Amino acid sequence: MERRDFFKKTAAIAGATALGSSTLEAATTQQPIDNRKVSPVAFPEKRPLIMYSDRPPLLETPRDVFTSALTPNDQFFVRWHMPDIPTHIDPETFTISVNGLVKKELNISLNDLKTKFEQVEVTAVLQCGGNSRSAFKPIAGGIQWGSGAMGCATWKGVRLKDILDQAGLQKDAVWIGFNGSEKAAYYETPNFIRELELSELDDHVILAYQMNGEDLPYLNGYPLRLVIPGYYSDSWVKMLSNITVTNKYKKLFFMDVAYRVPDNETESETPEKKFPKTKPIKKMNVKSVIGYPTRDSVVSHKSHVVIRGVAWDDGHGIQDVMVSTDGGKTWGKALLDDGKLGRYAYRAFRFAFKPNELGKTTIMTKAISKIGEEQPLSKDIKWNHGGYKYNGIDEVTVEVV
Amino acid sequence: MKKLILVTAVLTSALFAQVNEKVEVPYVPFPVKMGKGFDAIQTHCLMCHSFGYIINQGRQSKKFWHGKVIKMVDHFKAPMDEQAIKETTEYLFEHYGNGKLK
Repeated sequence: MERRDFFKKTAAIAGATALGSSTLEAATTQQPIDNRKVSPVAFPEKRPLIMYSDRPPLLETPRDVFTSALTPNDQFFVRWHMPDIPTHIDPETFTISVNGLVKKELNISLNDLKTKFEQVEVTAVLQCGGNSRSAFKPIAGGIQWGSGAMGCATWKGVRLKDILDQAGLQKDAVWIGFNGSEKAAYYETPNFIRELELSELDDHVILAYQMNGEDLPYLNGYPLRLVIPGYYSDSWVKMLSNITVTNKYKKLFFMDVAYRVPDNETESETPEKKFPKTKPIKKMNVKSVIGYPTRDSVVSHKSHVVIRGVAWDDGHGIQDVMVSTDGGKTWGKALLDDGKLGRYAYRAFRFAFKPNELGKTTIMTKAISKIGEEQPLSKDIKWNHGGYKYNGIDEVTVEVV
Repeated sequence: MKKLILVTAVLTSALFAQVNEKVEVPYVPFPVKMGKGFDAIQTHCLMCHSFGYIINQGRQSKKFWHGKVIKMVDHFKAPMDEQAIKETTEYLFEHYGNGKLK
């Protein structure tokens, strides 16, 4: 290069930097933030977790928990929308109401729920639609979660269908509204209500009072929550108080404004030009997260490391998890667990790794579903303004010493 | 005998919660940047949510913060007048902004 050209180039680059704020910024995505520490403060029934807010409580599960298919209740993430959560619910007097377009209105006590209906269990992943949001650049609006706004538990309860059958749906019933007990500071603030179309609800949808064999923790929706396997958690209403059957869709903030992605094929848009039409986030895409090692792990040279993690999708099931220990140059198949927890659960995976070279190495995992859906590289994830549905190939860089 | 039967009845129907008293969500102090407009933040924002909810949105443009404030007014029905909207937006952009207007 001629010396003069060099100066010209330098000047041009400097110019672009200076003009940075007024030129169009490309939307590119990277690995989610992975260096947050757990808070010194433990919330009720929880171990100390990564904490973003106390009112409403927003708690994230640290990465090293994701080495097994079930997430312990006391490490399970927490996300509420309103500041006022009932601080005491009496299981003796609590009832869930079923009303609207039903033949018989019901008020079911917890005891009736546990004794007068068939008891069922489903193991399912609960993941916030904004999980891993911190991956999006430019920064998408909302809490800048790492990859721990998720967990998997065995939920026990009663089929929603059995309850609706007992109430008896009227002919024109189309929508089922679910109301939680959290309250805003102002009376006029909309309640946290979800509406689901009858046609969307299958036998796997349950009202759960138990999680991993214990009462639901208070912060995970005690005494009763909706469980919709395969769907993002914004639909899994906590502290369920009321079920209303209607024939007409009501306009609701949490359905019509929040938790939506662009309604186009790639579900993407640019920061400068938002896509006008949106749709609810609903079903989860295929994803995997590494639980071990983490960026803080000490990995010894020529030792026998077992890389562990979890993979899931919306219920089609996981076909394979591919693992790379050289930053994506070569890939091998991980061993999957027996899958006995069912198609909505995490598949725990493991992969033997003997680090033969000293220094930094990047471990990557890519899940592939039974319908052939696979995780893209994080840089290939397209941007959306709410920062929803990130599912980039996971990466952990460790130092081999 | 009558008494005994009563006791049994109570035992079989009793449902125990894991936590039998009021749950207390801890209060967590967040690092707050003092400055012009903070009074408005305290009055209008912290009524409903923690300071953590604000600072964990990441650094954002003035348009973003204005949009958030408007969302609180339009959708969450926060009682704020034009002055309050202006003061909170400017505070948020000054302390938690990314330097960009849009």
